[in-house]
Amino acid sequence: MQEMRPLTVWERMLAIDRRWLYLTLFVSIIVFLLLPVRLPAVISPPVRKFYDAIERLQPGDIVMVSSNWSASTIAENQPQLEAVLRHLMRKKVRFTLMSVEAQSRDISLRLANRLAKEFGYEYGKDWVHFGFYTDLIVAIKGMTNDLPATVKQDVKGTPASQLEVLKGVKSLKDYKMVIDVTPSSTVPYWISYRPKNLIVLYCPTSVMAAEAYTFLDSGQIEGMITGAKGAQEYEQLLGIVGLGTRFINGIQFSHVLIILTILLGNLALFMQRLSREA
Amino acid sequence: MSYQHAADNWFSAIIIAIIAMAVLLNIFRARGGAQLYIRRIPGLDAIDEAIGRSTEMGRPVTMIPGLTAFGVVAVQALTIFKYITKQIAKFATPMRLLTANPTVYAVAQEAIHDAYNEAGRPDLYDPDNVRFLSDRQFAFASGVAGLIQRERVAASFMFGEFYAESLIFAETGNIVGAIQIAGTTSFTQVPFFVAACDYTIIGDEFYATSAYLSREPVLLGSLVGQDIAKFLFALTIAVGAVFATLKGVDHPFIKLLGMPGGWDTFWNAVLGGR
Amino acid sequence: MWQIDTTTLSGKVSMALIVLGAFVLAFGLIPVLQTLPPRGRRALIAVVTFLVGAFFAAEFFMPLTQDDKNYLTPGIQPAQNALQIIGSLALGLGTYGLVRLHLRNVVQKRGQWGYSVVLLIAFVTMATFSIWNTLAEKRILARTPLLDRGFSLLFDYTLIQLDAAMFSIIAFYIYSAAYRAFRIRSIEASILMFTAMVVMIGIVPLGAYMSEQLFGLPREVPPNAHPFSLEAILYSLRLPEIADWILKQLNAPVQRAIEFGVGIGGLAMAIRLWLSLERGIT
Repeated sequence: MQEMRPLTVWERMLAIDRRWLYLTLFVSIIVFLLLPVRLPAVISPPVRKFYDAIERLQPGDIVMVSSNWSASTIAENQPQLEAVLRHLMRKKVRFTLMSVEAQSRDISLRLANRLAKEFGYEYGKDWVHFGFYTDLIVAIKGMTNDLPATVKQDVKGTPASQLEVLKGVKSLKDYKMVIDVTPSSTVPYWISYRPKNLIVLYCPTSVMAAEAYTFLDSGQIEGMITGAKGAQEYEQLLGIVGLGTRFINGIQFSHVLIILTILLGNLALFMQRLSREA
Repeated sequence: MSYQHAADNWFSAIIIAIIAMAVLLNIFRARGGAQLYIRRIPGLDAIDEAIGRSTEMGRPVTMIPGLTAFGVVAVQALTIFKYITKQIAKFATPMRLLTANPTVYAVAQEAIHDAYNEAGRPDLYDPDNVRFLSDRQFAFASGVAGLIQRERVAASFMFGEFYAESLIFAETGNIVGAIQIAGTTSFTQVPFFVAACDYTIIGDEFYATSAYLSREPVLLGSLVGQDIAKFLFALTIAVGAVFATLKGVDHPFIKLLGMPGGWDTFWNAVLGGR
Repeated sequence: MWQIDTTTLSGKVSMALIVLGAFVLAFGLIPVLQTLPPRGRRALIAVVTFLVGAFFAAEFFMPLTQDDKNYLTPGIQPAQNALQIIGSLALGLGTYGLVRLHLRNVVQKRGQWGYSVVLLIAFVTMATFSIWNTLAEKRILARTPLLDRGFSLLFDYTLIQLDAAMFSIIAFYIYSAAYRAFRIRSIEASILMFTAMVVMIGIVPLGAYMSEQLFGLPREVPPNAHPFSLEAILYSLRLPEIADWILKQLNAPVQRAIEFGVGIGGLAMAIRLWLSLERGIT
C-alpha cells in the first residue's frame, strides 16, 4: 500500500483551515482598535463637497435626514449619522428624521435624543422624528405634495400641525436638502422623486458606495460620506474624535493583513508549482 | 428637476417607446419563425451539471431568490427556479426554496407546484420545501446559512436581488462544498459572488437566462430587441460624447439627450424661444 | 375624484359602501374564478394585468396640466397603497407557513425539532413584547417595568447584537474568500488581485502615509501647477489618487454599462408581463 506523502509547507498554506484566518483577523482587529495610533485622513472630494454643502446652510433652514440603517450596519452608519447631526446642530439648522427601516426608527431616535441634549436642541421645536414609513416612494411623493398631510404625526403622536419645527413648511420643496444615511439602495428613489431644488447628500456603507459614483459624477448627489472611513474624514473636518476615527485603525490594518495573506497565498502557489516542476 | 413623467423630457419617452417597439417587433419576428442566435453562457450550462451532482450525492439543492421584493426581478428568478425544479423533478432530487418576501413566497409555492405538475411528478411536491424564513435581512441570512450547513447542500442557486447577505450564502455554500451558481442585478454584490461562487451571471445575463434555458421564441425575440436598444444607447452616448466635447455640456442638444426639462430647452433654442 | 372625505356623513356612507362592495366583489369573484375554465381565467388575468399596467403607463405619458400633475396622478398613491395592502396580506400568509412548518416539526418530532421549539417561543415572545410596546407608545396600553425590561432585553440586548454579529461575519468570510480567490492563475485574475490591493490600501489613511513616507510622493500639488508637470505626475501616482481613479474612471463607467443593460432587461420583462407574453411562472 502506497504511503501518503506528508504535505509540504506550501500545500499546508494553500489548504489552511479558514478558522486560522478568522482567528488572525479577529486578533488583528482587536489589537489595532486598541492601538493609540492616529493617522490623519486625506479628505476625499466627495466628503469635502458634503461638508461644504452643510456649511452653506443658514440657521433656521430645514433638512430631512432619512435614516434607514439597522444594527447590522451600526459600525458604518452610526459614525456617519452622529457626525452629520453634530454638524447640523452646530449650524443651528432644523432637521426632521424619518426611517423606512423599522429598527432604524428606534435607533436613530435614541441617537438623536442623546446628541440633542449635548447641543441643547429641543424636540418638537428644533428637531423631530416622523417615524417609520413602509414605502419610501409613496412617502417622498406624498411629502413633495403635502408634507403635513403625509406625515400626519410625529413618532410621539403629536399632530404635524402642532409641531413648531414645521412652521412655514408645506412640503419637501421647503427643505434645503435630504441626507440619506442607509445601507441599502434608497438614494435612487430620492434622486428620482425629490422636488427640483432639493439637494441630495448620501451616507452609504462602503459596499454600496461603488454604485453611487455615477450619481456623484452627474451631480445628482452633491456629496458622499463612505462608511466609517468617510466618517473619519468628516470628523477630521469637524475637528472631533468620533467613532469613525476610533474604528479606522481596525479597518486599515485588517486591509494590510488581508493583502499580506493574499501575497503569502500566491507565494505558496508559486513555490508549489516550482517544486512540482522540479 | 426629476424625471417622473414623459413630459419632463419627451425625448426620453420617445426612446422608451422605441425600445418597447424593438422588443415587440422582434418577439413577433421570433414567433414568425426567425432563427435567433444567443451566445453561450457557461454558468447556465452548469445548471444541469450541478443538479446531477446533487442527485449523485443524495443531498438537496437550494434555490434562493435573495431579498427580492415582488417585481420583475422576482418573476425572472422564479422563472429560472421553475426550470431548475423541472430538471430536479426528473431525478427526484430534494430541493429547498427559501424566500425573504411573503409575496414571493406565495407566488413561489404556485410556481414550484406547477413545475412538478408539468414534469409529471406532482407526488414529489412538498409545500414545506418552499419556505418563508424571515423578511429581516440577517435573520433570513442566518436561516439560510443554517439550513445549508445542516443539510450539507450539494448545489446552491442564487438568483435575484441581494445585499450584504450574499457573501454569507456563498461562503457557507463553499464551506459545505456545494457547487454554486449565482445571478444578480445587484452590481455591488457581483464581486462577492465572483470570489465565492463557481459561476456568476452578471447584469442583463440574468434577464437572458430564461431565454437561454427555454429557447422560447418570445424570450429570444425580446433579447434581440434588448440588444438593439443597447446599441441605440451606445450610439446616443457616442454622439453625445462627441457633441459635448465640441460644443460643451450645456448645449441644448446635450440637455435634450437626457436631462429633465431638456425637451423644452432644446425646442426653445431651435425655435428661437417661441 | 380619488379622495373621499370621511369626516362627513355622506363620505362615511360612501366609504362603507365601497368597502362592502369590495368584500362582495372579492368573495363573489372567488367562486366565479373557480368555475371558469383555465383559458377563461388566463384571459381575465391578462385583461386585469393590462388595465392596471395601462393606468400607470397612461399616467406616465399623459401631458401635465399643472404642478407637475395630470388627471391620473392623484390615483397613483391609492394604487400604491393598494399594492402595499396586498403585500401586508402576503406577510400573514408567509408567517402562517412558517409557524405551520415548525409546529408540525414539533408535533411530529421530526429531525432537529428542538430548533423549531426555540423558533416558536422566540416568535411568540418577540411578537408579544413588540405589539405591547407599540400599543404602549400610542397610549392604548400602560407601560410597565416588565415591558420596558423585556423589550429592552429582546431588542437592545438580543436582536441588535445578533444583527450586528451576522453582518460582522461578512468581514471574516470576505477574508477567506479573498485568500481563496485572489490567485495569479491568469492575466485577468492577476489584474483583479492587484486592483483590489491598490484600492484596499489607497482608500484608507495608510495609503496616503505610505505614498508620502515610503515612496516620497508629494502630499499636495500647487494650485497653479501644470497638469503634466513633474509634481502633478508624482502626485497622481499616490495610492489614494490611483484608488480614486480606479473607482471613478473604471468602476463607474462599467457600472453604468451594466445598469443600462439591467434597466433595458427590466423594461423588456415588464412589457412582456404587462402584455401577458411572459409564460414563465404564469
